[in-house]
Amino acid sequence: TLPRPSAPQPGDTRSHVEWCKQLIAATISSQISGSVPPPDSGDDANGYRSDSDAERAPLTLALRDGNKQAQMEEAPRVPGETIKTIAKDVMYICPFTGAVSGTLTVTDYKLYFKSLERDPPFVLDVNLGVISRLETISLQIGENNRGIEIVCKDMRNPRFAYKEEQSKLEIFETLTKYAFPLSNDLPLFAFLYKETFPEDGWKVYDPVAEYKRQGLPNESWTISKINSSYEVCDTYPALLVVPTSIKDEELRKVASFRAKHRIPVLSWIHPESQATIVRCSQPLVGPTDRRCKEDERYLQTILDANAQSHKLTIFDARQNSVADTNKAKDGGYESESFYPNVELNFLDIPNIHVMRESLRKLKEVVYPSIDEARWLSAVDSTHWLEYIRLLLAGAVRVADKLESGKTSVVVHCSDGWDRTAQLTSLAMLMLDSYYRTLRGFQVLLEKEWISFGHRFAARVGHGDENHANSERSPLFVQFVDCVWQMMRQFPSAFEFNELFLITILDHLYSCLFGTFLYNSEQERVNKEVHGKTVSLWSYMNSQVEDFTNPFYVNYENHVIYPVASLRHLELWVSYYVRWNPRMRPQMPVHQHLKELLVLRTELQKKVEELQRDVASSRSISSSSEHGPSPSHTSTPLYTTV
Amino acid sequence: MFPMRPLKPTFKSYLPPLQTEVKKTVQPPIKKLEAKLLPGEIVVNEVNFVRKCIAVDSSREDLWGKLICTNFKVSFITHDTLQLQKFQYTNRLLGEHDIPLACVEQVVTVNDAKGKQKVLGSNQKLKFNPTELIIYCKDFRIVRFRFDEAGPESAKKVCLAVAHYSHPADPQLLFGFEFAWKRHHSSTGARLNGVDIEGGPQVPLFDRPSDWDREIKRTGASEWRVCSINEGYAISPSLPEYFVVPVSLADQDLKQYSGFFAGQRLPLWCWNHPNGSALVRMASIKDPVQQRKLDQRICTAITKSHPKRSDVLKSDLDKSLPNIQDIQTAFVRLRQICVIEPFEESEERWLSSMEGSRWLEYVRAFLKHAAEVVYMLEGQHASVILQEDEDRDLSCVISSLVLIMLDPHYRSLVGFQGLVQREWVMAGHRFLDRCNHLKKNDKEESPLFLLLLDCVWQLLNQYPTAFEFTETYLTVLSDSMWIPIFSTFLFNCPRQRAEHCREFVQSKNSVREFNMLRFPCVWDWDQQFSRKDQALFNSPLYVGKGTSCIHNGTVKTFRRTKKTYSSTLRGLPSLPNGMLMEVETLPRRNSLAQRLRPDFSVAREAPESPSERFFREWLTRPADPHGLLLPQLLPSHLRLWKLYFLRWVPETQIPRGGPITAFHRLSLLADEIEALQAQLRRCGSASTSTSTVSTPNISHSESSRMYFKARSPDDLSSPPEYLTSSFPFSPVGNLCRRNILGTPFSKFLSGAKIWLSTETLASETL
Repeated sequence: TLPRPSAPQPGDTRSHVEWCKQLIAATISSQISGSVPPPDSGDDANGYRSDSDAERAPLTLALRDGNKQAQMEEAPRVPGETIKTIAKDVMYICPFTGAVSGTLTVTDYKLYFKSLERDPPFVLDVNLGVISRLETISLQIGENNRGIEIVCKDMRNPRFAYKEEQSKLEIFETLTKYAFPLSNDLPLFAFLYKETFPEDGWKVYDPVAEYKRQGLPNESWTISKINSSYEVCDTYPALLVVPTSIKDEELRKVASFRAKHRIPVLSWIHPESQATIVRCSQPLVGPTDRRCKEDERYLQTILDANAQSHKLTIFDARQNSVADTNKAKDGGYESESFYPNVELNFLDIPNIHVMRESLRKLKEVVYPSIDEARWLSAVDSTHWLEYIRLLLAGAVRVADKLESGKTSVVVHCSDGWDRTAQLTSLAMLMLDSYYRTLRGFQVLLEKEWISFGHRFAARVGHGDENHANSERSPLFVQFVDCVWQMMRQFPSAFEFNELFLITILDHLYSCLFGTFLYNSEQERVNKEVHGKTVSLWSYMNSQVEDFTNPFYVNYENHVIYPVASLRHLELWVSYYVRWNPRMRPQMPVHQHLKELLVLRTELQKKVEELQRDVASSRSISSSSEHGPSPSHTSTPLYTTV
Repeated sequence: MFPMRPLKPTFKSYLPPLQTEVKKTVQPPIKKLEAKLLPGEIVVNEVNFVRKCIAVDSSREDLWGKLICTNFKVSFITHDTLQLQKFQYTNRLLGEHDIPLACVEQVVTVNDAKGKQKVLGSNQKLKFNPTELIIYCKDFRIVRFRFDEAGPESAKKVCLAVAHYSHPADPQLLFGFEFAWKRHHSSTGARLNGVDIEGGPQVPLFDRPSDWDREIKRTGASEWRVCSINEGYAISPSLPEYFVVPVSLADQDLKQYSGFFAGQRLPLWCWNHPNGSALVRMASIKDPVQQRKLDQRICTAITKSHPKRSDVLKSDLDKSLPNIQDIQTAFVRLRQICVIEPFEESEERWLSSMEGSRWLEYVRAFLKHAAEVVYMLEGQHASVILQEDEDRDLSCVISSLVLIMLDPHYRSLVGFQGLVQREWVMAGHRFLDRCNHLKKNDKEESPLFLLLLDCVWQLLNQYPTAFEFTETYLTVLSDSMWIPIFSTFLFNCPRQRAEHCREFVQSKNSVREFNMLRFPCVWDWDQQFSRKDQALFNSPLYVGKGTSCIHNGTVKTFRRTKKTYSSTLRGLPSLPNGMLMEVETLPRRNSLAQRLRPDFSVAREAPESPSERFFREWLTRPADPHGLLLPQLLPSHLRLWKLYFLRWVPETQIPRGGPITAFHRLSLLADEIEALQAQLRRCGSASTSTSTVSTPNISHSESSRMYFKARSPDDLSSPPEYLTSSFPFSPVGNLCRRNILGTPFSKFLSGAKIWLSTETLASETL
């Protein structure tokens, strides 16, 4: 029954820009300094408050009692967002700065707490998508005897306390309903979000264009439409790159021999050696050592497509023992005796459950408080960095095999949608500088992760209340962490910055954009995600300035090999520990670089002006003078930044 | 030397290319291999057909050449070039493969056929012919030579010579003496590497009253005076001849008091805060009867020198900081995990091992203690006495850090060097003992100076715009400790230096000339590095005194007047300084900067102490690079100084990566800005006198402060190939942890404490 805020009209660029600015302000503060959802500071309230009056009006109406304080404490909203409940005199128990009382607003997109008790006002803004689990806790703080703990996927657990009163009973229920819409027969918020951006992010990835960029199709490889209706493999994209000489019939046979029908398909081809990265799932060898002639011939064809090497290397991401266990369960791995010229390597990366457990431990270490004296060993005990090291080391081996060994590589794990995606995309990031640009990275995610069916819905659990589901695992977070580690080691090789990565991770959970929803391309087509939701890239590509790394230089055509050693790997404090105000990193150097860039522009302008003055005064005063012409006297004018 | 190859549009790999198995055969050198000797340097022993080991896993890359032991260095000369080497910083005093004897930590000889090994000390015998010589260096290198094709007797002799000459029995056997003497008597006179070493640096050495006077004036310490009662070291053997004391203390009083202090070390003034508070360091008072009275008198005198008669606070360093043995133990543990243990083995528990070494914990303790002293001076307006038993170790670190945090002058290159000269060399830090140059007493060895450098590095890492110098400078400075030519790091105190110089000259039967024995000073960097290489010391982010900048559209030279100096010191947001831009040009800058600081804006549950409040409030404001600096001290803020500790470890080298690539980018930009400024100056003068306008822009590149120069505007090419995370150092051939006898070296070391202990191994082999 609450009136909606006036959403900017499509095409109204001014309000759009305004809105983007606010969103950026919110993002920056939440992600770098950790203040929009940060429990401790409210410095962004002004960004929202400076809003147009048009938006203020309905908000005022929303508060029928006209309480001025509550008015001031009300939540700003994104277009399409509706307030579901407002509760006054709620206490937020901040683990860093102590308890604070204010107004709690729950919308269908977020939970918003604001207190004017502090100056600047204190704001906590948690989007509901990030909530993993809601719990009532019993406590007694003054009159407040009810409590909620909000266990979040992004490494924090905010707690609220309130009085047991009639109206406030609904807080918990409303939160539960809108935090887990799928469990309550409600749509994900992405389908309600009404915003238009100048750019359409759904156009970022065009598989045909991307394969064309790689030089495909070519003699040996073709773009097949065999899966155009997702019949061969329902978790693969519609377009697949397969060897030209393989007939559709054979492909189907191969599909029946691979787990979930995920046949070997090309992910990337080396522009010079034609060595390829091929991804797939495990072969269904089973305890009886089944064989599949078509599959054997298929791998031989992949090997033959690369004239530079007489070997094909298979990287099985799993531990050898785990692969053996899978064999007993009808899975397995390629036997070197049935696949001649194949070399099989195990990369010893533990499974999704181990990773989930590791991140859970890490959360315990970093939130809410840290043990200063035992910090390093506490981080060590989570093994999080050890697993990052294993992944990076595996990806380096893949990339090096291609680059130095000029050998084609097949990567798989069990189903080929978790560790496989991590390894292929990391290796591609090392090998191909295109993927290290802002656009290229989006293409990489769209391709290797989204279209190839990394089970985002299952791994993240969008809108689902079943927090204990063993399918959940932070595999994508782990991948982005690896990218961040690479950025640390190569500060000028990536066009995007840390904020870019953090923003992606925040919207992995937020359900604001459609980008990471659902498990496969087929599901997304069925749910009309492209038509009914906004792409994360629409937003990010409208604000590239904020996501650009000023250190970026042209590493084109250079392979970068990160050093997969714990001596260089660091805990990503500005992501995992960002809620703790004391752990924030120092002023980043890139800020200083930006300042230098501004200084240079200013100087360039100044020099130009002066030269113009000199030139004009000279031409007036002495046309007979035999001095060189002004264009010779000056060093070439530098183009602007 | 610095290949600037154009980029080819091909995919490149920076792992070493796969090698084809080509056996290198012994090639007798065509040209004669001769040692390059410095004045006063003589060859002791040499052996031919020696192999220097390069790669860890194969001998393919090994170099063939001659190994020479002189009275200064272990020198390996070869005609071979290092295939894997992309870059190596060149030191003018040393060849590519040379190790100064003072840098030798331990000499190990091995005979792998007989399965024997022995740690060699001075004047020892060796009962087997060594097939291998391993030199462990103080700068963390591990260098290996093999004698498979060399004459066994000469090999043995060289090994024994290296061991013997790296354990000098007397300070005067340190090469610096012979060098200084010969240089003085040779025809080239006081010139080395074509550089006049007597003239040189404008770094004040604080060996004369005028240096102190200037410092008193600069800090406005009008109630303090230079005292010369220790001229000729008449009062205290370890104090400098000139130091600064409160005006109210007469020479007569001081002479009387001196006897009660440990080492007769009277209190030394370090610095005055613009608010009048002074920092003073002092040894303990030995006589318990006199203690209270004397304490009282000193405090009264310091109070009298304070314009507001503020209190004097005492900070007992011995009680609150780790002692020198703790620090040494931590350092040895850290060295162990960084370079001794096999890479893979130490990889798994790396973070825990780091924590176990306690090195970072100690770095943090010193930074924290210094910050607390800063609070007393700045926040409480009180004068502070740093008290340490002998006032020669911990107080050097603390006083230096306090000064660096409080006074931007000490963050400039000249300021920092003067600081080391004052608070370390003149104040009598026992460099001879702490460096253990004579390898006599391991208990006295402690890397206090390196600890200071690491603390400074942490500050530099947190506030990169505040320092004129770079981490390369700090690393090179620490390496200079092991080149026994500079007086800076050779003696325990100025008096010891004077005495040894006199004795040495007397031993040469030349009494009249003892004043002439002048050691070069480490601050004269021309001795070690070319001007171009010295440009690596300059930070592209530093905009300091004397650097011109744009302000309000005009070029100005940034000068700190007395007034802005004190205001910035109080931590108030100062006028456009450092980055010198109008707020409007980068509207979000300030707000963003503010938000990036830790936000303590709200009171926490635990009651906050005044000093915590002081730190919190400081940290909520944007840091002023030319004002007060306080370290951020949470565990995630303190990092391992990788350039120093890991530069030789081949496994950790990031090809074309590491912080240096950001430095490279910044340098190009800073260079471009300098060029534009130069152009602006020319245009400016041109508008008044039109005749100069046609001068082409050539002079700029020579005068540039930057090592990396912009070749073209908006130079966005990728960093040059030779850049690695170890730059400007190279691990190639400098860390050879090859297994011996099929056992990882660590296994061989188990039993020995950390390094091989001489006794255990000697008993095994003899």
